[in-house]
Amino acid sequence: MSDKSNDVLLEVKDLKKHFAPHQSLAQTLSGKNRRVVKAVDGVSFSIHRGEIFGLIGESGSGKTTTGKLVMKLIDPTSGSIVFNGEDVTVTDKERTQAYRRQVQMIFQDPYASMNPRFKIKDVMDEPLVIHKIEGDHVEHEKMIIKALTEVKLNPPEEFMGRYPHMLSGGQRQRIATARTLILNPMMLVADEPVSMIDLSTRAEILHMMKDVQRDLGLTYLYITHDLSTARYFTDRIAVMYLGRIVEMGRAEDLIDNPLHPYTKALIEAVPEPRTGKVDVIKELPISGEIPSPANIPSGCRFHTRCPYAKPECSSEAEPELMDVGNGHFHACRRYKEI
Amino acid sequence: MSMKDVGYRFKEFWDDFRKETSGLIGLGILVLSLVVVLFEPVFLPFKDVDGNWRNISYWQDSPPAAPPAWTNLFAAEKSATTAYLNDPIVEDVDDPDFGLARVYTFKYNYKYDKSPLDIIFRAKGDGMLFMNLSVIRPDGETVYLGQVYEDGLAGDDIRFTVDTDARSSVYEFIRAHASEEAIANSDSSNVKATDIIFAKAGADMLSAREPLKGEYLYKVTIPASLFEDEANRIDEAKLIVTGRVSGVLGTDTSKRDIYSGIIAGLKWALFIGLVTSVISVLVGVLYGIISAYFGGTTDTIMSFIFEVFVSMPMLPILIVLSATFKPSIWIIIGAMIVFYWVGPVKTVRSMALQIKEETYIEAAKALGAGKWRIIFKHMAPILLPYSFANMALSVPGAIVAESSLSLLGLGDPSIISWGQILHDAQLSGATLNGLWWWIVPPGLFIAVMGMTFAFLGFAMDKILHPKLRTR
Amino acid sequence: MDKLLEVKNLKLYYHTSKGAVRALDDVSFDLYKGETLGLVGESGCGKTTTGVALLKMPSPPGRIEPGSQIILDGRDIMPLPEKEIRKNVRWEEVAMVFQGAMNCLTPVYTIGKQMLETLQEHRDMDKAQAEELIKEYLGLVGLPPEVMGRYPHELSGGMKQRIVIATALFLKPKLVILDEPTTALDVIVQAQIINLLKKLKKTFDLSFIFITHDLSLEAEVSDRICVMYAGKIAELGTNQQIYGEQGPMHPYTEKLLQATPLLHKKVDSLSYIPGTPPDLIDPPKGCRFHPRCHKAMDKCSQEEPPLLEVEPGHMVACWRCGK
Ligand SMILES: Nc1ncnc2c1ncn2[C@@H]1O[C@H](COP(=O)(O)OP(=O)(O)OP(=O)(O)O)[C@@H](O)[C@H]1O
Ligand SMILES: Nc1ncnc2c1ncn2[C@@H]1O[C@H](COP(=O)(O)OP(=O)(O)OP(=O)(O)O)[C@@H](O)[C@H]1O
Ligand code: SF4
Ligand SMILES: [Mg+2]
Ligand SMILES: [Mg+2]
Repeated sequence: MSDKSNDVLLEVKDLKKHFAPHQSLAQTLSGKNRRVVKAVDGVSFSIHRGEIFGLIGESGSGKTTTGKLVMKLIDPTSGSIVFNGEDVTVTDKERTQAYRRQVQMIFQDPYASMNPRFKIKDVMDEPLVIHKIEGDHVEHEKMIIKALTEVKLNPPEEFMGRYPHMLSGGQRQRIATARTLILNPMMLVADEPVSMIDLSTRAEILHMMKDVQRDLGLTYLYITHDLSTARYFTDRIAVMYLGRIVEMGRAEDLIDNPLHPYTKALIEAVPEPRTGKVDVIKELPISGEIPSPANIPSGCRFHTRCPYAKPECSSEAEPELMDVGNGHFHACRRYKEI
Repeated sequence: MSMKDVGYRFKEFWDDFRKETSGLIGLGILVLSLVVVLFEPVFLPFKDVDGNWRNISYWQDSPPAAPPAWTNLFAAEKSATTAYLNDPIVEDVDDPDFGLARVYTFKYNYKYDKSPLDIIFRAKGDGMLFMNLSVIRPDGETVYLGQVYEDGLAGDDIRFTVDTDARSSVYEFIRAHASEEAIANSDSSNVKATDIIFAKAGADMLSAREPLKGEYLYKVTIPASLFEDEANRIDEAKLIVTGRVSGVLGTDTSKRDIYSGIIAGLKWALFIGLVTSVISVLVGVLYGIISAYFGGTTDTIMSFIFEVFVSMPMLPILIVLSATFKPSIWIIIGAMIVFYWVGPVKTVRSMALQIKEETYIEAAKALGAGKWRIIFKHMAPILLPYSFANMALSVPGAIVAESSLSLLGLGDPSIISWGQILHDAQLSGATLNGLWWWIVPPGLFIAVMGMTFAFLGFAMDKILHPKLRTR
Repeated sequence: MDKLLEVKNLKLYYHTSKGAVRALDDVSFDLYKGETLGLVGESGCGKTTTGVALLKMPSPPGRIEPGSQIILDGRDIMPLPEKEIRKNVRWEEVAMVFQGAMNCLTPVYTIGKQMLETLQEHRDMDKAQAEELIKEYLGLVGLPPEVMGRYPHELSGGMKQRIVIATALFLKPKLVILDEPTTALDVIVQAQIINLLKKLKKTFDLSFIFITHDLSLEAEVSDRICVMYAGKIAELGTNQQIYGEQGPMHPYTEKLLQATPLLHKKVDSLSYIPGTPPDLIDPPKGCRFHPRCHKAMDKCSQEEPPLLEVEPGHMVACWRCGK
């Protein structure tokens, strides 16, 4: 990949998404403004062509929101998205539609991402109809069969007449993948695609997705809270905390040599199939729960839970991502001391 | 969606529906109602009841305020029921008065304790007609009833009733049998002609009447010479014995057959109920989806409009409307739709708000689907089954509302509705006069029709609703 | 060690219109006092069904078949009438934290009210007493007493799970069945809950049955692991026997472990088990796993392998692992 490392497909710069909370008229009048929810609060990263980029973090850290911003399902509060050399932050209807053909999404819940009343054939046909892809339904059917074959659903014909509820979670996630592939996209955003899939099938789906990525030269934004699958699946990982990236680097670097205390905590918390830990109470370097994104701590946003926090962590400006070389970035001012 | 899918889904629905007893009862009654509506003429004793409900002459041969025929079952003294004798025996005989004559004989088997109210001879005539009418009783006595002479007929009705046209002739019969004393004691104006005809002849036949049971022959004798002229014709000769009890559900004070009214009213009840509920539910469902899907200001405005409609009282406004305009069923239906469409809005809106957040809607958006595709392809088909239940549930409301209007005298006079029957009953003081058969059936039918759809609606709701939640 | 629970030949079938789903077919295991027994397996293998069977509370159309024995503290609870079970066994002796229970808190009542209702249903207590007790238990699971006044939607997943755990402990049961208590939570909260459970177990001298499909997690909590496949026990062994150097013995367990991605090891491809678990209405003849097994031989499709003790405390149901 190093030869392609300059070929950036997606570049996200200082992206923010602040949700204004719902307010009743009375609340507005009484002047008791509720705080905005800063779900994504200044995220920058770039993904290279043909790369699998992982976005990792606790629940509520803003991963899905980032994914939706990249998908242009919601509009950013500020910041920019450049795709394939073109700024797509604000686009007209036509350009958005064209963008939707190039960037596709796989959702977390394979049970919910397909209309229960659509047959698989209709599920697969939907993108073709929406984008008015030429061809009668015989040709459409051929495309569908081809896509189903790509995700190794065999025999494809047999699945076309079924409803989503007649399929296992793994099969559904294959369909979801096939549906995104049918338009020949350049990039896929996969939001926890295997977190709801049975353990025995999980490996199989990841395997399939990786094959497809290699065969078709796709680029993935892979969102997950599971570090173990990220290690196996991704090339680079960015760790998010409360709407911001706190560490980013090559998957092995980041996991074997974490720099940010939050990343360390995440890694610490991952259970591993090794014996001898039953009677041990795990030492968790961090305690408590993630603060509300409506009330982000000052300074380094992690200081409230950080075991290494010093007064300056809360009083001084928030640390920016710093490069330690080798493409490994972190946002901890005390990384050398810990 | 192919036919096969529809079939599959229907089968799935049916498998669940079969387990709902109340739903099955509802379905049974609905199917029965539809059969009745489709084959209405078969069930109607008075075929032309539509259009003649308010035509007094159409009903003149029926008894007024007669209880249903089956009340005989519970009565000690059986009353004669209404009978229609349409096939006279026609023969040419030698008549002492006319010489050669054509005689129409109607055989009537009297086996009751209380005589009929009237015997009415009806026919259609052309040219000049002359006839003698008489009754031969089982005891061999002949009661001479009178004669009819008409000229210049052109397919006109000939009508001869015993009760009015034969009074004096029948009195002759009394005089021939009853004692002088009894005649002197009785008030001749009080004697009913039919009572005499169907009573045993005897000295005390006025005071202590006993029914004479057996076969009566009603004879209409016409001189045969009359028919030598082709222009003189008699057709459709028939005899109506007007009973004291009549029909399946009796008659009202205007002699109308209530059963016919109820059967003819069924199609209107279904029509009003279904048209109102289908249109208003469709409007409501779409309104709810659009309001939820667009959200924001659109939602706020649409919710406000909805609230305005919800807070308007329906019946008072309907009353004012029907009183101002000429009451017509279309205005009534239209006005009801204006009020009924709000029914499903609230639920549909909240369900649509949920569905809108479903991942597959988001997935469709991510694929590039536009808002109308999402509304019509993804949201409406899911909320539609729910609206079936809602439709069924709003049918009773519509039927009752129309009935209420009719009950207030604001119904469309060109149709027959159960509410109107009730209204007439109320006007005539049916309750005070004990004419229960005029009040109970229309009331009961309104209730049963309402219940039928409520049963259907609840069953559908139970089946279709959880599916929606659990996907 | 004393046995708290002996399960013998437990069968639970769901009698559906399409036939009997043999969700538990002849399952036998013991549970010692103070032990955590892990139940692992793919979705639909009968983990939850085992849990509800132990409460004698199968969800309809399920029925515990005759011949099953559940001996709790030396007493077979199978013949006991429902009234007795409700009075003295269910929640009192055996409690269960249901799968997804944290999402089943009623949204319209405060946490305090919901906990109060559960408590007063089982214990004669006035309100003040009950509230004291609730506060004590909230403290035990690491929540401040203010939580009582909150509504479920105001709480995070981790907090809700703590509340559900506290509610299960109210009546001081001896055995708590935990059905996927951390599945919907992220790693840090999961680790916190696991730590909490370990502490509570010591405090209250509890035994746990810990249900999950995550083999890695099971390695951290369970003293002994029971691997289930298609309504049967495939392998049952100590933590050491399953996760230790020599590895598990049953091909199914072996494959499951290989399919689990490891944090500290980069692999190029994960192996996986092809196919899906069988239909339990008509399970395969012989070994139920044979259609997916990489070690299957002819005998496997003919005869069902019995669950045999291949080394002390290690039971395996596989023809390849006979003594
Ligand atoms: N539409 C919205 N309105 C208000 N707040 C929102 C909205 N969407 C997300 N949030 C908030 O933004 C924060 C980040 O949410 P997001 O779904 O991106 O997190 P996540 O990292 O994907 O978490 P998870 O692992 O639970 O999926 C959360 O606190 C969430 O409550
Ligand atoms: N109420 C029910 N009616 C019919 N079948 C049922 C019922 N409940 C469970 N089953 C079936 O019994 C089998 C075992 O189900 P169970 O819920 O015990 O699995 P599980 O191991 O807990 O799975 P999961 O990991 O998905 O929770 C499955 O095949 C399931 O389909
Ligand atoms: S018995 Fe045979 S099929 Fe079953 S697990 Fe062992 S080797 Fe595989
Ligand atoms: Mg998310
Ligand atoms: Mg379960």
